[in-house]
Amino acid sequence: MYNSLTRIQAVFGFFTTVAFVVASLIAASDFAAPRTPSATVKATNVQVVKGRPHYYSTKKEEYAIIKFSLDADLSSLFTWNTKQLFVYVTAEWPALPAGGTNQTNKAVIWDTIITSPSADHLSNLGPAALRKLRKQSAGKSVDPNRGKLVLKNQKPKYQITHPSGRIASTADVILRVHYNAQPWVGVLTWNQDADLGLWRKLAGGVSAAFELPALKTAAKKAGSA
Amino acid sequence: MADQILDRIRDVVDGQIDFEGQKLAEILATAVLAIVGGISFLVGFLLQDIALALKIGLGGTALTFLLVVPPWPFFNRHPVKWLPLGGEPAITSTQQNIVIDAKLFAK
Repeated sequence: MYNSLTRIQAVFGFFTTVAFVVASLIAASDFAAPRTPSATVKATNVQVVKGRPHYYSTKKEEYAIIKFSLDADLSSLFTWNTKQLFVYVTAEWPALPAGGTNQTNKAVIWDTIITSPSADHLSNLGPAALRKLRKQSAGKSVDPNRGKLVLKNQKPKYQITHPSGRIASTADVILRVHYNAQPWVGVLTWNQDADLGLWRKLAGGVSAAFELPALKTAAKKAGSA
Repeated sequence: MADQILDRIRDVVDGQIDFEGQKLAEILATAVLAIVGGISFLVGFLLQDIALALKIGLGGTALTFLLVVPPWPFFNRHPVKWLPLGGEPAITSTQQNIVIDAKLFAK
């Protein structure tokens, strides 16, 4: 500490230690905040169409377009340490033959990123949409309203298929809601299978089973709600 | 002449402080950084605002640098009393020659 250079080094060294300890405290504080997420999802309109994976492909595959309604309250997932929430909906159906060793078929049909106000400057929005988003939060540093999702007959982002290329007339398909909470500091967490302390597992979040219709878009299932 | 200029630059850049000052600098840096860390977490947690916590933390660290790195006069309040050269009793005269070889004293 006898000259300025060594003092700079000493102060900086202790600063990194303090920063690490404070970050650990912030990450640990997440466990003291209860989580009570809930969601209901149902398929509203299911079609299976013939298509190609990309423009020049010669392969023809069947794609399922599953429109859905989603009502979710994920506001308890937003704490001061939440950077953004990634929410996604998957379609799952059992693999044949029943009771065999193959995994359940799962495919993501829709996803979205919900930023916390502290991370709005990182969102993928243009200036007008960003201004609108900021105004909705009205200057709050944590805005739980961002976790409330209400989607009616939402068009899916992705049309799904099976590696075999055949997906028409599949039975026992369900939609499941997932989330991934991404903190500023700390561990990434997904929706959990069991309660963990103050963190409850997602209430609901699974739709009733429905069937993918046969080809020809005439099959309009109102969804077995 | 260039040597003199370089010496002066070196003194400024070095920023030497005496031993009591070094002790004070260490205690000050540790205490201020720890308190700043504590305040930044508490304020951020109570106001639920992580951007504010970050600003307080970085601001407090900048303050610590300003407080501890430059050789402030209060770090030099106990200068080291060097013994006189050649084992002679302390020279009270203000004139001292630099010793080039042992035969040169100033009385």
